[in-house]
Amino acid sequence: MSTFNWKIVGAAGEGIKVAGLIFSKTCFDQGFFIHGYTEYPSLIRGGHNTFQVAFSLEEQSAPQIKLDLLVDLDGSAIKLHQSEITDKTIILTNTQPTNNNILNLPLDELIKQASGVPQMKNIIALGASCFFFNLDLEILNQEIVKAFSKKGQEVISKNQQVAKLGYDFVKKNYSDKIITQEKPQSPQKDSLFLTGNQALSLGAIAGGMKIYLAYPMTPATSILHFMAKHQKTANITVRHAEDEIGVINMALGSSFAGARSMVATSGGGFSLMNEGLGLSGVSETPLVIVNVMRPGPASGMPTWSGQGDLLFVINASQDEFPRIVLTPGDPQEAFQLSKLAQNLAEKYQLPVIILSDKYLAESYFTVKKFTAQHTNQRYGLVDKSSLTQDKPFPRYQNTDSGVSPRTLPGQANGVHLCNSYDHDQLGYATEEIDQRNKQVEKRNKKISFILKDADFPQPQLFGSPTAKHTLVSWGSNKGVILQALKQLPDVNFIHFPCVWPFPLEKFNQLTKSAKNLITLECNSTSQLSLLIRQQTSINITNHLLKYDGRPFYPSEIVNYFKSKTT
Amino acid sequence: MTPTSTQTRATTIKPTWCPGCGNFGILTAIKSALDKLNIPPHQAVLTYDVGCSSNMADFVYAYGFHGLHGRALPLAAGIKLANPKLPVIAIIGDGGCFGEGIAHFIGLARGNHDILVITHDNYLYSLTTGQMSPISPKGTKTPSTPEGSIEEPFNPLASALINHASFVARGFAGDIPHLTNLLTAGIQHQGFAVLNILQPCPSYNKTMTPDWYRQHIQYLEKQNHQPTDFNKALDLAVNQKDKLPLGIFFQQQKPTYHQQLPSFNPDNPPACQDISKINISSLC
Repeated sequence: MSTFNWKIVGAAGEGIKVAGLIFSKTCFDQGFFIHGYTEYPSLIRGGHNTFQVAFSLEEQSAPQIKLDLLVDLDGSAIKLHQSEITDKTIILTNTQPTNNNILNLPLDELIKQASGVPQMKNIIALGASCFFFNLDLEILNQEIVKAFSKKGQEVISKNQQVAKLGYDFVKKNYSDKIITQEKPQSPQKDSLFLTGNQALSLGAIAGGMKIYLAYPMTPATSILHFMAKHQKTANITVRHAEDEIGVINMALGSSFAGARSMVATSGGGFSLMNEGLGLSGVSETPLVIVNVMRPGPASGMPTWSGQGDLLFVINASQDEFPRIVLTPGDPQEAFQLSKLAQNLAEKYQLPVIILSDKYLAESYFTVKKFTAQHTNQRYGLVDKSSLTQDKPFPRYQNTDSGVSPRTLPGQANGVHLCNSYDHDQLGYATEEIDQRNKQVEKRNKKISFILKDADFPQPQLFGSPTAKHTLVSWGSNKGVILQALKQLPDVNFIHFPCVWPFPLEKFNQLTKSAKNLITLECNSTSQLSLLIRQQTSINITNHLLKYDGRPFYPSEIVNYFKSKTT
Repeated sequence: MTPTSTQTRATTIKPTWCPGCGNFGILTAIKSALDKLNIPPHQAVLTYDVGCSSNMADFVYAYGFHGLHGRALPLAAGIKLANPKLPVIAIIGDGGCFGEGIAHFIGLARGNHDILVITHDNYLYSLTTGQMSPISPKGTKTPSTPEGSIEEPFNPLASALINHASFVARGFAGDIPHLTNLLTAGIQHQGFAVLNILQPCPSYNKTMTPDWYRQHIQYLEKQNHQPTDFNKALDLAVNQKDKLPLGIFFQQQKPTYHQQLPSFNPDNPPACQDISKINISSLC
C-alpha cells in the first residue's frame, strides 16, 4: 500500500503550522492514518518553518524523507529541501515558472481574484494539495470551519473560497500531474488524532492526577495548555507558577496533602528542579516529573528534539534515592505510562520521571481510541480506624518493602513531620549513624519490589527472535524503528519503555541469543549503551546516533543496514 | 498526669535554640494562637524552611513539612491548593524568604494564596554563623562582608504591600501577648498574610539586642492606625526609619487564589476527591 508524503514550507508567520494541521486533519477525516511532523525555529516571525504529513491506509509511525508534494510558500523550498526531492516530487511554488514537476501556483493573483488577504496563501495551497491526492474539498472545508470558528463566518467563507480557487486552478492546469486516485473506504472511526503531549496529559488525568503545575518551556508547554484548557471538565487544578523551583516545591506540598500531582518541563527546567527531585526522594513524597527533551545544554535548540538527558535524569540530584524513569515510545505508551506513573509514584512513594522528547511531544499521530473509563486504586494511605493514638505517627517506619504507611494532613492521630533532613521513623531530624543507615536502606529496598511489580514496563522484543542484528533503543525512536523494520527482515528490535530501575533480568533474557547488538539513540555518546555496560557488562560497540535536533527517519536506518551488508 | 501531645502541642524533642533566642517567644505565641482558635494539631499544617527559625519543625506537634531553603512558601501554597480546609502556616527566616526564595514571596502574594507567612527577622543568617541577610542595614560587618555590606536593605513590609499581600503585620518576639493576637488575626485572615517578626539573635547580632528593639518599637494600635488605609500603611513601611511600628499595617478582604480557580469546589478539595473511576471521553 502506498504512503504519501506532503510537506509545506515557508517563513514563521505564514501559517505553516495551521496549514499542516488542517491538512493532517483533512487526511485523517478522509480515512487515512497520518503522521505529522513539524520543524520551526524559536521565533514568532521569520525563520524557516515546515510541516510534513505522511499518510497511508496503513498505520504511520514515522516521518518520511522523500516527498510526493512540496508546497513552497516563500521560494526557499528547492534550495533548502533538495535532499527530499525525487524526480517524481511535485513542487508547488509561487516564485518559479512551471517547468516539468515544478508547478507555478500564482498565489498573489488568486488572492487578488478573491479579494483576499496575503495570510490566505497557505489555504490556497491546501485546496491545490487536495486535488493532487484526490482528497474531498468538502472535508477540507469542514476543517477550515473548525480552524477559524473563532474568527467568524466571513473569515471562514473567504478561506473556503480561496481553497476552492487553489483546487480549481491546479485541476484546470495540471490535471495530468495528479498523484493518486486512491481513497479510503470510510473515515477513521475508532482512532484519535493527537500529539504525544496530548496523550501524556490524558494519561495523567486518567491516572487520577489532581494538580498540575508548570512554568512554560518548549517543548513541554503544550501539556500546560492542554491541562489549563480542560481544567474545568477534567476537574483538575492547574497553575502556571513563578518558576520551576516554585513548581516542584508546590507540587510536593499538594502531594503531601494527598492530591496526585504532576509537573512538566524540559531539560533546563528539570535542572532547576533537581533539589526538589531529591526532596521528593528523601521525604518519600510521590511526584510525577515530565522532562520533554530538547537539545542542550543550557538554552540549546528549544524547538528541536534530542535524547541527551537519559543519564542525567537517572542520576540527577545529590546523593542516592530510588526513582523510576519511564521512556514512552509512542502516544499509546505515553498515555499508558503517564497513567501508570501516577500510580507507581504513590505506590512506592518516590519521584517518577517520564522522559519524552520534542519529536514525540509535538508530532501528530493516528492512535487507537483510548478506553473512556479508568479505575485507580489509592496506595499506602492509612485507614482512620487504625489511628487511635494521640502521638506522632511513624511515617517512616521500616517495612519489608521499604514503603511506609502514610497519613494525610487533617487526619486525627496521624500527625507527623515530612522531612528534607535525614530523619528517624517519626520524621524528626537525626544525624545518628544507626538512623541514617536504616532510612537509606529502607528507601533502597523499594527497588527490588518495583522490578518485580507486574505493572513494571519491561523491555520488549519486536521482530524475529533469530534475526541477525538487534537494534536496542528507548523512547520515541520506537515508531521510526518499527517503520524501518518492515524493510529489514534480518533486524529485530529491543525497546525500553522504562530504563530505571534497570530491568536487568528481562534484558539479559532478550539478548541471550542476540548476534549483533546496535544501539540507536538521539545523543552523541550512546548513553543507553553506557548504561547497559554499567548494569550488565555487555559492551555494545555499534551505535547509530543522531544529535542534530532531528528525529531519525526510517530510510536512514534502512540505509545503515544496507551499507553494512554491501 | 502527663499532658497529652495535643495539650502541649510539643514533641519529646527539646528546642535547640540558643538561650535568649527570639524563636522561643515566637513558638510560644504560635501555640497560644492555635489554642485560642481551637485548632487541633491534626488540623494545622506548618511548613518550615531551612534556618534556626525552621528547626522549630522538630518541636511542634502538628502536621509539618520541613522543606528546602527558600521553599517553605510554595510547599505551603501547594498544601493549601490540595486541601483549602486546613490552615497552613509557613515558618521561614529573612534569608529564606527575602533572599533565596524571594520569587515565591512575590508570586504567591500577587496570587493571594491563602497562607500565613511568618518571617523570623533577626537581620542575619544565623544558622550559617552570622552572615548578612537581605534585611541587614547597609554597612553591616559580618564574616561574608568584613568591610561592611554594600547592599541597601530589603523592605519586607513595603514589598508585601506593593505586591498585593492582603494582610501585612509586624510583631516582636519579646511581646508574646501582642504577637499572639497578631498570629490569631493572621491565621484567621483569608488570603496571603505576612507577619514579619522582629527577633533578637543573642549569638550573632550584638546590635539589635532586646533593649535596642524596645527602644525602637511602637504600637500602631495606640496611634489609631486604620488597617484599611493602604497609603498610610505604605508610608509607615517606607518612611519610618527610626521607629519600628508593630501591629497590623494593612488588611483587605478579597477572593483567595484557590477560590478563583475554575475547578474550585469548597466541599470537595483535590486531596479528598475520589479517583477510583475517571472518565476521559469528554477530553478526547
